[in-house]
Amino acid sequence: MNLAVSIILGVGLVFFLGGAVGILRFPDFYSRLHPAGKMDTLGSFLMLGALALYHLHPFTLDNVLVAIKIALIVVFYFLASPTATHAIVDAGIRAGQAAWQKPGRGAGS
Amino acid sequence: MKALALAIVVLVGGLLISATVDFPDWGDPASPAALHVSPRYIEKSMEETSVPNIVTSVLADYRGFDTMFETTVVFTAGVACFLLLRRREPRPGPSRVYRHRASGVIVEMSQAPDTEPAPEVFKRIDDDWTPHDLIVMNVCRLLIPFIQLFGLYVIAHGHHSPGGGFQGGVILGASVILLALSWDLRTASLRMKEVATGLMSAIGVFIYAGVGALALAMGGNFLDYAALAPILRVDPVAARSLGIFFVEVGVGLAVMATMVLIYKNLASEGRLDQGL
Repeated sequence: MNLAVSIILGVGLVFFLGGAVGILRFPDFYSRLHPAGKMDTLGSFLMLGALALYHLHPFTLDNVLVAIKIALIVVFYFLASPTATHAIVDAGIRAGQAAWQKPGRGAGS
Repeated sequence: MKALALAIVVLVGGLLISATVDFPDWGDPASPAALHVSPRYIEKSMEETSVPNIVTSVLADYRGFDTMFETTVVFTAGVACFLLLRRREPRPGPSRVYRHRASGVIVEMSQAPDTEPAPEVFKRIDDDWTPHDLIVMNVCRLLIPFIQLFGLYVIAHGHHSPGGGFQGGVILGASVILLALSWDLRTASLRMKEVATGLMSAIGVFIYAGVGALALAMGGNFLDYAALAPILRVDPVAARSLGIFFVEVGVGLAVMATMVLIYKNLASEGRLDQGL
């Protein structure tokens, strides 16, 4: 059980790391929001899921309640994080932010 | 001149940094701050107030007078914002912008200030910013009830966990502001009218001071909740616990209403008709 929890935590960490690298390395506003929205959501899903699993270990009512609360956080995050990213992208488009293009293709740089 | 300023900054900074060496260690039980009244709170608060969260018992009971005026400061900030920003005259320019509900076409109409087209056909929208985002609107509609439920939980659970009136009130206020952001200011104003925000803000402070005055009337000191025991029909310790809950409710009301009041006035330049 502990091994499975560790593996899931590790995989979640990989996604978080990828998200952080992506935010730093991607060229513009919209493409940076892509790792910020997606990797964080999946990473926190895996890590919180692992914590919920870890809490189930002595299978008592209290522990199950804690696990359900963690699962509810995951549900909230799954709804709120992509919506927030969507809203930020929407605001960027409305405010006239142009999308990045590969240098040498079209007018963008 | 710049060199002189730099020299002063370096000197004062160096003095401040050198003074930190004399500070007591982080969490040192022998530091002066930890020797004065803290041991009494730590040892006695559970048996005197039956509140496991010592922070809450200190905040709302032992130092209830302080917190009452903190709530009053929040209320005063809301009133100041209202008095400074609120304007009665309508926005300059005769036209308003509407969205035809069936087709989504946006039209600008000039009309007398008091007449409105049929609301089931035309929906009024802001003239500079017209978010019509199905995803954001519906996700927020889905989440806001749960956010408000969580705000109530934080207010009521301040006895046992981090939380209380200030935090819960902010969460409740933020849920109304989220409605204003994701739908529009008019929808939020329909749900929570301006009169309601002002009244609730004042009622929150009134609840706090009223609980204190009630204790005074029952023969105790001001804000001595143990004096409320005969009314509540519980023993004095439980009465202190309940008294903390009552004032937390007052704080929550005042903070929530003030947050919404300030947001509405700031977002709409004091006209409360349209805004961010």
